[in-house]
Amino acid sequence: MMQAYLENKNEGRNIGLLVTLLMLAFTVVGALVAAMVGFWWMPLGEYENILLNDFNAYEIIVIIASIIYAVCCARTTIGLFRREQSSLRWSQWMFFITLIISGAILLSVVIPVGLKFALLLGQNIDLRTQINEEVGGLVPTVLSLGEGLISVSVLVLVLIALLALFVFIIPPLESLRRMEGVRLIVAPPRRLIQAILLVFALGIICVLIAGIYAVPLHLDKTKIRVAEDHRILAGLIFFLPAFFGYRQVRQMREESDELRRAVALTPGKFIRAELAKSPSAGAIIGFIAIFMTFTMATDLFLEPSSIASYLSNVATKGVIAIGVTYLMISGEFDLSVGSVLGVAALSFMLFMTEGAPVLGVLDPIPAALLAIFVAMVLGAVNGVLLITTRIPSFIVTLGTLLAYRAITLVAIAGGRILRYRDYHAEFPVFAISNIVFVALAVIGMALVAFTAYRVLPVLLQGAGRAWSIRRENGDFGTSGAIVRFIVFLVVLLILLAIVVWLVAVFGYHIDGGLVEVGYFDIFNGRVSAIGSQGDFFHLEIPRDANVRLAILWWFIFVAIFHIILTSTSFGNSIFAAGGNEGAARAQGVNVDRVKVQNFVIVAGLTGIAAIYETARNPGVDPLKGQGWELEVIAMTVIGGALLTGGYGSVVGSLLGALIFGMLQTGLVLVGIESRLFSGTVGVIIIAAVVLNTFVRGAQRN
Amino acid sequence: MEYKQKNPDALVDMIDIHKYFGSVQVLRGIDFHVDRQEIVGLLGDNGAGKSTLIKVLTGFHTLTRGQIFFDGDAVDIASPHDARELGIETVHQDLALVPLMSIARNFWLGQEPTYKVGPFHFMDKKLMASESIHALADVGIHIRDPEETVGTMSGGERQSIAIGRAVYFGKKLLILDEPTSALSVGETQKVLDYTIAAKEKGMSVIFITHNIRHVYEVADRFTIIERGHKLGDFYKSEVTENEVADMIVTGQIPERLRLYEEAAVGE
Repeated sequence: MMQAYLENKNEGRNIGLLVTLLMLAFTVVGALVAAMVGFWWMPLGEYENILLNDFNAYEIIVIIASIIYAVCCARTTIGLFRREQSSLRWSQWMFFITLIISGAILLSVVIPVGLKFALLLGQNIDLRTQINEEVGGLVPTVLSLGEGLISVSVLVLVLIALLALFVFIIPPLESLRRMEGVRLIVAPPRRLIQAILLVFALGIICVLIAGIYAVPLHLDKTKIRVAEDHRILAGLIFFLPAFFGYRQVRQMREESDELRRAVALTPGKFIRAELAKSPSAGAIIGFIAIFMTFTMATDLFLEPSSIASYLSNVATKGVIAIGVTYLMISGEFDLSVGSVLGVAALSFMLFMTEGAPVLGVLDPIPAALLAIFVAMVLGAVNGVLLITTRIPSFIVTLGTLLAYRAITLVAIAGGRILRYRDYHAEFPVFAISNIVFVALAVIGMALVAFTAYRVLPVLLQGAGRAWSIRRENGDFGTSGAIVRFIVFLVVLLILLAIVVWLVAVFGYHIDGGLVEVGYFDIFNGRVSAIGSQGDFFHLEIPRDANVRLAILWWFIFVAIFHIILTSTSFGNSIFAAGGNEGAARAQGVNVDRVKVQNFVIVAGLTGIAAIYETARNPGVDPLKGQGWELEVIAMTVIGGALLTGGYGSVVGSLLGALIFGMLQTGLVLVGIESRLFSGTVGVIIIAAVVLNTFVRGAQRN
Repeated sequence: MEYKQKNPDALVDMIDIHKYFGSVQVLRGIDFHVDRQEIVGLLGDNGAGKSTLIKVLTGFHTLTRGQIFFDGDAVDIASPHDARELGIETVHQDLALVPLMSIARNFWLGQEPTYKVGPFHFMDKKLMASESIHALADVGIHIRDPEETVGTMSGGERQSIAIGRAVYFGKKLLILDEPTSALSVGETQKVLDYTIAAKEKGMSVIFITHNIRHVYEVADRFTIIERGHKLGDFYKSEVTENEVADMIVTGQIPERLRLYEEAAVGE
């Protein structure tokens, strides 16, 4: 009927108008949801301890999604009114976004309850007795109902599976499979399976509802968010119509050739295709999933101090992970980074305290440079050993892992800790004119302006071309250029705002006066500590938040090394060296040199990480960095790099490190015992790699 | 020992090539030449020494004795890099392309076009994409998307791209090492077409195979190697497909052809 309406026939007129009106109503609903959440009329999952007028990421996502939803609804309304085929494309996106919003609302109930169930299991509390004794009313009945539904559906599923297995496996029945009646058993009708799954889902919902009432009783001490039952209803009211609407549109699309052209990409396919282009797709999905899980599980997760904590915890390891990613892409492997870190940290500290061999006691900056150089020499040794002996890098670096560790063990005898404070009374500082800061900020401003001047016109032109193509094709076609333009514009404006703000802050105090800055603070100090020194930064970062400067350096390194990897011929030869060494050699790539260079890069970055670690805690013990190599490799692998080489990304390693850090902090916040941390990380690693493989499979098709 | 070029007009003239691996004599005095714009089929059974001969020419092995002349000059090819500098491009069975990299990146691998921003060199990705499409279209290879990874393509498509790359970079000699052994009939035909296209663009081609059927159609001349020796050079007009196939298997020159050989020696 809708089809007839869109094709301008009379018969579909009434129903078409009705749907148009419905879409208009949906527009209003979407706008209302955005407004209600946005103006705190309908707070979604606020923990009591947290101020009411305070957004959490979850709310922000719902607000943004509802706004997009309203826009999609409005566009669909207009499209239907003007009888454009493309309106179906908009409505598909609309349903898709509704699914996301309602899914998020549902998850905000499911995740806390699920987590609490998990915690209860750990505490050996019999849920059923507790519910019978303390809650009463309808709740025990709902729980029994839920359990019953789950048992029945699982039983039926198992029966079907057994029957199918029976028919498939036992040879005498082979011939039976071709008979009409048996086919029914082998491949049970889709409707039946769907019905069973529906029963199963209902059972889960019943158990969850019971859990909402039962669980809070025993877990008052945890910070897990209170789950509210009415949100299940709210979520389902959105979810079910969107689900059926989405399927309806898909069906219509499949029935009509013209529509298929207009709605070329369904939202699901679009997102999958976009993700498949990126080597870090698995890490992106994992990052979003874990971030959302913890965000919904506890409000504490988005406290500035929590974010600062997990960023600071992984910043140094993240820097190493960049190098390990490079090495892994070129097909090699470095186990020795932990030991190299120990040696570099020790050298740095020794050069500042006992003194370097010829040069004597050094200032922090020369000491740091020399320590990084020492690390690079160790890396070069790794690389040269590899290419001269042709032993697998796993073995080479396993050897150097142990050998380099001996350096620190011998140098710091008796297991003592080499402390800066034992040699010098004060941490080193240097005085700097505040004009320098203003100058740096102005240079930053000029840089942003220059980038805008160079890139913006090109992007604008591309966006304009894409826009006119879309116009001609009746609102259909590539929108990538337009999106790129908008994203670039937004990023540019944010950067500009930051730089202008910095210029304003610094410029306010410009008088040529000297500011004392600690060397260690520049390497990896608390940002608040740096601010307090000169009392002119005025950064409004909470004093208790552990925001370390290494985070900034980490992000800068990620940006630089990402560009090197993706946009220089050196990066190209890294991919080639790991992807197919023979082909790389045949094309004149000096594979050996690339590999040695990568070993030096890893070691150099490890040296830099060592400086950060030492600056954060100016003391070195002989076992510094032990066990880091596997954590860093875990981050890299989660980030999508292939152990076999030829594939991976620096941004992936960033996400891998963030996932690692979020797990470390988040598990503590929701009250799960830290003993479970390594187990969880293990599961995540395997899941991430499976996900990466799956996404790469999608890319191939 | 001084060597003199036997075929002064040839692009490649390899004279008295010996290659020993320890006490194993793999090549025992082979003379081999390739004329300009000529497709030579280098034939021989497994282990006959054809791969070793080619690896000597492409710098993977250094020769024990003998001399190579390229483009009229005596050359010393010590590494694959040297061979590349001379204009020799080898398309290996499975070593040609990097599967996980895009077509454009593979195409330009080792000689990426760059532009400068201050002291930094960046790859010109736009140029890489557009030029690779045009260059491949020139030899009749039409690709859908230069950003597509090579791993998703069929064996024939990969060989074609490698051949197109060699043609584009103005190489003088293209060596195809068993290019068709894993390909379907249709794909083989395509690779043969591109080989002819390469010849028409002015290149010489060495086509290594042990399957005469693939090369008979396109080759101008056949060189048959047998246990480290050269059995002989035969122009296509002199021999039939079956005679060549027999020679590969038996290692004997048929009675009829021996007269040609003796006449050649007599000169």
